[in-house]
Amino acid sequence: MSNNYIVELEDVDTIYEGEKIPAIRDINLKIKTGEFICVIGPNGAGKTTLLETINGILPSTRGKVRAIGQNIKKFGHSLRKKIGYVPQEMAIDELSPFLVEDVIMMGRFGKIGILKSPNAQDFEIMEEIIKWIKIEDLIRRPVGKLSGGQLQKVMIARALVKKPKILLLDEPFSNLDIKASQDISEKIYHLHLNSKLTIIMVTHNIGSIPVNSNKVMLMNDGKIIQGNLSADDFRLNQLKSLYEVKD
Amino acid sequence: MLSSFLITTLIGASLAGVACSLIGVFVVRMKLSSVGFCMSHAAFAGSALGLVLSINPLALALVFSSAVALIIGPIAEKSKLHPDVILGVLFSLMLSLGLIFLKFSPGTALSSSAMGILWGSILGINTREIILLGIITLVILISMKLFSKEFRSIMFDRKMAEASGINTKPFYYLILLLTSAVVSLSLKLIGGLLIFALIVNPASTAYEFFYDIRKIIIFSPLLGIGYCFLGIAISFLFDFPIGSSIGVVSAICFGISVILSPKRRKG
Repeated sequence: MSNNYIVELEDVDTIYEGEKIPAIRDINLKIKTGEFICVIGPNGAGKTTLLETINGILPSTRGKVRAIGQNIKKFGHSLRKKIGYVPQEMAIDELSPFLVEDVIMMGRFGKIGILKSPNAQDFEIMEEIIKWIKIEDLIRRPVGKLSGGQLQKVMIARALVKKPKILLLDEPFSNLDIKASQDISEKIYHLHLNSKLTIIMVTHNIGSIPVNSNKVMLMNDGKIIQGNLSADDFRLNQLKSLYEVKD
Repeated sequence: MLSSFLITTLIGASLAGVACSLIGVFVVRMKLSSVGFCMSHAAFAGSALGLVLSINPLALALVFSSAVALIIGPIAEKSKLHPDVILGVLFSLMLSLGLIFLKFSPGTALSSSAMGILWGSILGINTREIILLGIITLVILISMKLFSKEFRSIMFDRKMAEASGINTKPFYYLILLLTSAVVSLSLKLIGGLLIFALIVNPASTAYEFFYDIRKIIIFSPLLGIGYCFLGIAISFLFDFPIGSSIGVVSAICFGISVILSPKRRKG
């Protein structure tokens, strides 16, 4: 494996505990720094498993996974301080005793390190992200009282507050209305445009593939079916298949 | 004479109230009630075995409840077994073992030591036990101060805490071991059958009123002390067992808190 890639997966399988069939299998993937990859596929294709295998929350059962040049199994905790993750859904009970600002700052706790408290700089970074995502009016609200879309924005802020090198987005538009969806889509677009952030975004909705994604990967049944399409090629293929146009 | 006896009792009650209700903040939030419930009955079984073997009951209570923490911890952690199954099997096993051990304890099974384990006997609490309770209370407070970030993060969502780069395992086991120590050391106050009331009820009541975990951490031990004092007063007035009085008082207060909870108000 070379050091030119920020994410590298080599012959990777991941099997959930108690299961026999891998949720993802034979995954070979190389992502360069600053690339924006969009992973698309139907429900149950293994998209979420792929993201959680990349950040090591789900340990792979076969193959090698490296992020930022290091083995995720060996250096998982220190690597996750540099990898932002926005899960698809979070089951937060309505009475949850946490305020939005606390939840956002928690994203930075790993980076701050043990036995240390957040300092002025940490709060400054958090405020910057909150303003950028435009959720200033939410910060003193209980997290359990948020709508799905508001929670999604909070979780994106939480992932960004650690100033990650890799951002993993699992269906970031799934709970958003059209306006909020466009708003977040624009934010992600600008985030990628203005920084060297590597983004891997999972979606099942072809319409939500961002215009600036470098590559579209198609997953099904735990495997990468097509791994190297440009966003334009992917859309063209979809249109051809929709209107049954032959080459 | 009265003042020295009363002061000892109240100090013991205050320390147990603080320690139990602080650990309760974790137990309630992380849904560890079934694990903690098993620990309290393991501590009861350990104490009973201590009486049989003439070994310090407190030491064996600690060994038993810590062993349960270390055995059940990984099972509960990976959700290989539903918490109800863990509770059903281990709770009955530990209670049965405790009662069998009591049958073989010196003297009659209903000796004051044996009854003390079951129902609590804070009036017989000694200086050494108060010092131990003081130490565990201090350890909990220091741990909560030092690892405040990590504990809060785990209480919000353990998987997301891992995703932010926190190694949650040592903190999870620290919580379990502190719970087992608190259960064992508070056993004499409220008894093996009811110790969990003092762990779960004050924290559950505090959760009804606040959305800020920091306020819950402050309010829960205050309630714990209040319940203990009220329970002791009722016990003196009506000659009820202290553990039962604390259990009833704390349960009634929790019921009232659910009715009055601003979190459950509509609009």
